[in-house]
Amino acid sequence: MTKQNINRREFIKLSAVGVAVIAGARAITQTKASSDAPKGERQWAMVIDQSKCTGCNYCTLACQAHNDVNPDIQWNKVAQDGMVGDQQVFVPRPCMHCEKAPCVEVCPVKASYYRDDGIVMMDYDRCIGCRYCQIACPYDARSFNWEKFTGANPAVPEWGTPEVDRRPRGVPEKCSFCYQTIDRGLSLGLKPGVDPDATPACVNVCPTGARIFGDLNDPESNVSKLLHEKYTYRLRENLGTGPRVYYIPAVADAKREA
Amino acid sequence: MLKKLREKFVVTPWMIWLGIMGLILLAGLIAGILVFWKGLVITNLTDLVPWGLWITIDLSSIALGAGAFSLCAGVYLFGLKRYQPIARTATFVGLIGYTMATLALILDIGKPERFWHSMVYWNVHSLLWEVTMCVILYLTVLVLEAMPIIANLEWLRKHFPKITGMMSRVHHYAPILAIIGLGLSSLHQSSLGATYGVIKARPFWFKPEMSVLFMFSAIVGGISLTLFASMLSARLTNKAKINDALIERVAHFVGYLLIGYFYFRAWDALSQTYAYDPGRSEGLHFLTKGPMAFNFWIGEMLLGMIVPMILLLYKPTRMNRFWRMTALLLVAGGVVAFRWDTNITGQLVLMSYVPGAAITYTSYVPSLIEILAGSAIIAYGLTAFSLGVKYLRVVDHSLVEEEHEKVHVKVTEPVRI
Repeated sequence: MTKQNINRREFIKLSAVGVAVIAGARAITQTKASSDAPKGERQWAMVIDQSKCTGCNYCTLACQAHNDVNPDIQWNKVAQDGMVGDQQVFVPRPCMHCEKAPCVEVCPVKASYYRDDGIVMMDYDRCIGCRYCQIACPYDARSFNWEKFTGANPAVPEWGTPEVDRRPRGVPEKCSFCYQTIDRGLSLGLKPGVDPDATPACVNVCPTGARIFGDLNDPESNVSKLLHEKYTYRLRENLGTGPRVYYIPAVADAKREA
Repeated sequence: MLKKLREKFVVTPWMIWLGIMGLILLAGLIAGILVFWKGLVITNLTDLVPWGLWITIDLSSIALGAGAFSLCAGVYLFGLKRYQPIARTATFVGLIGYTMATLALILDIGKPERFWHSMVYWNVHSLLWEVTMCVILYLTVLVLEAMPIIANLEWLRKHFPKITGMMSRVHHYAPILAIIGLGLSSLHQSSLGATYGVIKARPFWFKPEMSVLFMFSAIVGGISLTLFASMLSARLTNKAKINDALIERVAHFVGYLLIGYFYFRAWDALSQTYAYDPGRSEGLHFLTKGPMAFNFWIGEMLLGMIVPMILLLYKPTRMNRFWRMTALLLVAGGVVAFRWDTNITGQLVLMSYVPGAAITYTSYVPSLIEILAGSAIIAYGLTAFSLGVKYLRVVDHSLVEEEHEKVHVKVTEPVRI
């Protein structure tokens, strides 16, 4: 009789352990699932037309003004690509806002995270400054605040006025697709990518209209139309990060006409 | 009068040692305060090379602290009881190593006051989160494991005999602690490798064998450093008593382990020589033929593996205490070289996001501040170990076995009743 009791007790113990293991495994898989990018109603994306970019750096400056960025740091960096014909080609590079962002995956404290509209955000109050995200980012999109940004911002007021707080010393920072403008614009009933008051500063300032912004989920948005009509590519696509910034390559004039 | 004073303050080698260490610690303290005050801008770290000397010290001290879990697992789980005195030393070395790593990290992160965020905000996806959690938990295990050692402090025994009694009794749970330690260490030692191994953006790092290499090199290096430290202490002071036969046997085992480590490392490098892979091929070239070539061929391969392998497997040199010590120190140095080479090479080879752009290189030389603060972390470790040898009988192969038995008997009886 006692033997049976012990067996029953053991059985209960065993099943309790089993349930705990299953619950634990479930908890782990669920967290895993939730760390993938949640898909909201809108999915912001940018198309950059390299045949139109003249490398004027206006986007860099407007970005530095609107986001109050240290002049040593560029959220929008304009790098030189090769030549097409006798034309210099440029690669303007904001944050790619990857669908599978390495920075979000590696952050030990979830200071980098996905918004449900696809924007990869930084929680500057949570970041511990380990710089693993910088190590992991394939696009050099992150800059560390090695020192505190004090004093006047040389890009202000010529290129715009700051809309967000300065980041503290000791955290990395990066482009946020001007989320503050998007959110404010949406609350006013404006359409990001169409109304300048709801569109990222770099898109508004571009003198040649090389940057196009919009919602991937809206088939009528400029971004969706361009992606449908033109050949586009993304940077380091082989890494599988799924960038939300697409490039229309510059081609020789003769080819473009043909 | 002067004569009397002179007689009272005889300058002993011990005092000179403490004096030198004190100076390095003071310089490092000033450097550390400057870092907290002015920020990381006074280091030579950049956005291209955000992980430098301090990360290498962090990685190396965790690796060289791995003797604790490997030897404790051997003694308490695999039944190699006679090596218990060496495991005791290893536990203390581990405790020092992990606190060194913690110091380096606190210095290195941009927001040291938020160090606790990793305990509150979990990202189970992040290797670095896992490493941080494991290190914190394992440090707790190490503190518990080191309790019986700290209980040896004469002053503590005299004034708080009850507390030291309780601390000594923790020893009874050594096997359980060894199991937890083995689990946590296996996790974070290999995850430290995976921290680099999962970075797809840098092809030189992106490979699964990173975890294996980090784990294996940590076990080899950790055991070696513990043995070397024990032997050196025994040479320098009569406070340290070693059983040379025990050390010789473990050193022989290290010799065999080195064959395995050499195989993995050589295979890792050789397997990358086939086919051109952008970034990875350049990294390998940088390591084996470029600026890291001396570190790799001489530091890691020749002095870190081949020479000590021969010295430890060839009986006459192994039996010779000098050669054995040399070999053990070389192994530990080789593991540090491996950590440095891996961390730096992966960052100095720059892959551009611009399509078709050539691969470029950057450079990194630690600043004076980084070197001073880094040296102080190492000096802290050396000081702590020498104090342990002098006051806690950390290296004492004669005394511990008996005490272990006594404690064992004392504790098991009341528990059974």
